[in-house]
Order: sequence, then C-alpha cells, then structure tokens
Amino acid sequence: MNATACYFVSAMADENTDIARGLRRRDPELLDRLIEQYQHRLLRYLVYLSGRRDLAEDFFQETWVHVLERGGQYDGRHEFSTWLFTIARHLVIDHLRRKRPTSLDSLADQDDLAPFDIPAAGQPSAFDATVQREQNEQISAGMQHIAAEYRETLLLRFQEGMSLEEIASVIGAPLGTVKSRIYRGLSALEPWVKGARL
Amino acid sequence: MKPDLMNADPHERARLIIALSGTAGLSSAEPSHAKESWLAAHLESCASCRAFAENSRETIRALRGIPITASGRLVVTTQMRVRQRAAELRRQQERFWVICVCCAAVTLSTAVSTALLWRGFAWLGHQARLSTPVWEGGFVVFYLTPAVLVGIFLLARGTFLADHNGSFQD
Repeated sequence: MNATACYFVSAMADENTDIARGLRRRDPELLDRLIEQYQHRLLRYLVYLSGRRDLAEDFFQETWVHVLERGGQYDGRHEFSTWLFTIARHLVIDHLRRKRPTSLDSLADQDDLAPFDIPAAGQPSAFDATVQREQNEQISAGMQHIAAEYRETLLLRFQEGMSLEEIASVIGAPLGTVKSRIYRGLSALEPWVKGARL
Repeated sequence: MKPDLMNADPHERARLIIALSGTAGLSSAEPSHAKESWLAAHLESCASCRAFAENSRETIRALRGIPITASGRLVVTTQMRVRQRAAELRRQQERFWVICVCCAAVTLSTAVSTALLWRGFAWLGHQARLSTPVWEGGFVVFYLTPAVLVGIFLLARGTFLADHNGSFQD
C-alpha cells in the first residue's frame, strides 16, 4: 500500500519537474498539452471567480500567456495546478483593481452578472435529470450570491478536489481561514439548497 | 472568526467537522475516529445539524454535478495565442543576444581605439606644437561629437514618433 503511494507521489513529482523544465524552455508542445489537460478545470474556476463566462474566457487565454511568460518561476516542487490557479486568481484580482480599487469581495455584489451557464447534464431518466438540473441551477444561483471568497474556496475544495493546504497556497490565506470559508460558504448556501428541495 | 474545534459550541463544532469532511477521500480533512463517533452521536440528537449535514451533502453533490466545459474553439484559440507569444518572446530573446554581442564588441573596440586615438592626438599636438590642454580638448570634442549627434538624432526621432503616434508603444 505504502509502496504504491510512494510510487504515485514520486511519479507526480517527476511530472511536475518535467513541467517545470518544459516551461523554462517554453516548450510549445508541453503548453498545448497543458492547455488541453487543464481546460475545463481552469475555465470552471474562472467562471466562478469572475461570474461571467465571456470574461472567464478572456482570463483563460491571458492565464496561459502568463504561464508562458513566467514559466521560469515554476519550480516543480508544488502541484502545477496550484500554481496555475494562483496565476489565474491574480489576473482576476488585477483586472478588478484596474477597473476600480477593490478586492475579490466586490464580485459578490455584482448585480449585472448573467447567471452561470449551466448546460443540462446527461442523466439516466428525464425526471431525475430535471430534478438534478433544477437543483444544480438553484445552487448555482446561490453560488452567484454568496461572497466571492466563499465561492472560490468551495469551488477549489469540492469541484477541484484540492487539499486544504493547496487551497491556502492558491488564495494566499492561512489554513484556518480556508476552513472557516468552507464552513461559512456551505452555511451561506443552505437557503438555496432548501429552496431547491421545495 | 477562525474556526477552533476545541472551543466551539457543540453545534458549531459538528458543522465544522461536517463542512471539512464533507468530501470523503479528500485527504487531510477527514475526521478521526473519535471525532467521527462524537459527530455521529451529536447528529443522533440534533435535528438542525443533521439538516446541515444533509444540505452540505447535497450542495457538494450539486457543485460536482455542474458541468462547465471549455469549448474546442477556446482551446485552439488559446493554443494559437500562446504559440504566437512564444514566437514573439523568442524573437525578443534573439534581439537581446544580438544587442549583448554588439555591446561587448563596442566596449572592446572602444577600449582599444581610445588608447590609439589618445596617442594619435598627443603625436599631432606635439607635431603642431600645441599646448597639452588644447589637443586634449580636441580629443574630447572628437571623441564625444558622434555620440552627441546620434543622441540628438534619436531624441528628435523619438519626439517625432511620439507626436505622430501618440506613444512609442503604439
């Protein structure tokens, strides 16, 4: 069991080292592969962070250009995804600061945001699909209304499956803050979950 | 505002454990057996925490079930943009090396030619029976004039470009 775990940890470390080496060389093949590999995860994060799909797509492209330009800064000791999400996050915050001096919190107050675009997911039965879709829409609407810092933490935790330490690294906050945001985020979403059940 | 499991009231403690362990398989936040037993006992007797656990479970399931996917067009556009930028950076890098080599060559030739020129001016001054400050002044003027002229030209060109294009960046 331990040998298997060691094997996977070592394989991941090797992969990160390879990525770091490739990024230093600005290897276009590697970048193409990474863009394909992280396309959905990164876009999902950016959609939730910015609240708008069109804006998220711009940030998506900008993030990869930054990855190319600053590839030399990735040391390969941490997960590549953590570094990638940190870059994406800084881009969104910088964009907001340029628009007006603000923080990530202001995203929660944007009334002009279009609702998240939730395509119907393929489900076994039409009824289940409808129920599931409505529930997803309710919770998605709730996500749009809770504070951006909670939204971001919930997304990183439950959609991206990041560890608490990785989230702390991405958002640049202490572990206690991450735990607190997860707890408060889930609590803030409760009314929407209840609404979805009615 | 930071969660403290030891000092929190039982309901808050239970909800924290639920929130942080709501995702089995997500490593470090999984509750220990002691916490798990305590939580199970608490949930038996507390309807509101039970509801919170149920809501959290549904929220997490829903969050995972919301599909947001990148389109193929976005991926291809991004890959093209990244490749273009990579080519741009490569060209910049090449220009940088050319400039570095030019600077090194200019420094080397300046070091050699200055000594030779200084001796030449000294010899000419001696032949023309000029006082030392005069031929030294001549040397300085001869030495600096090209650089001053090129500087004025570049400054004028820069001002012209700025007036006509708005800025150099454009």
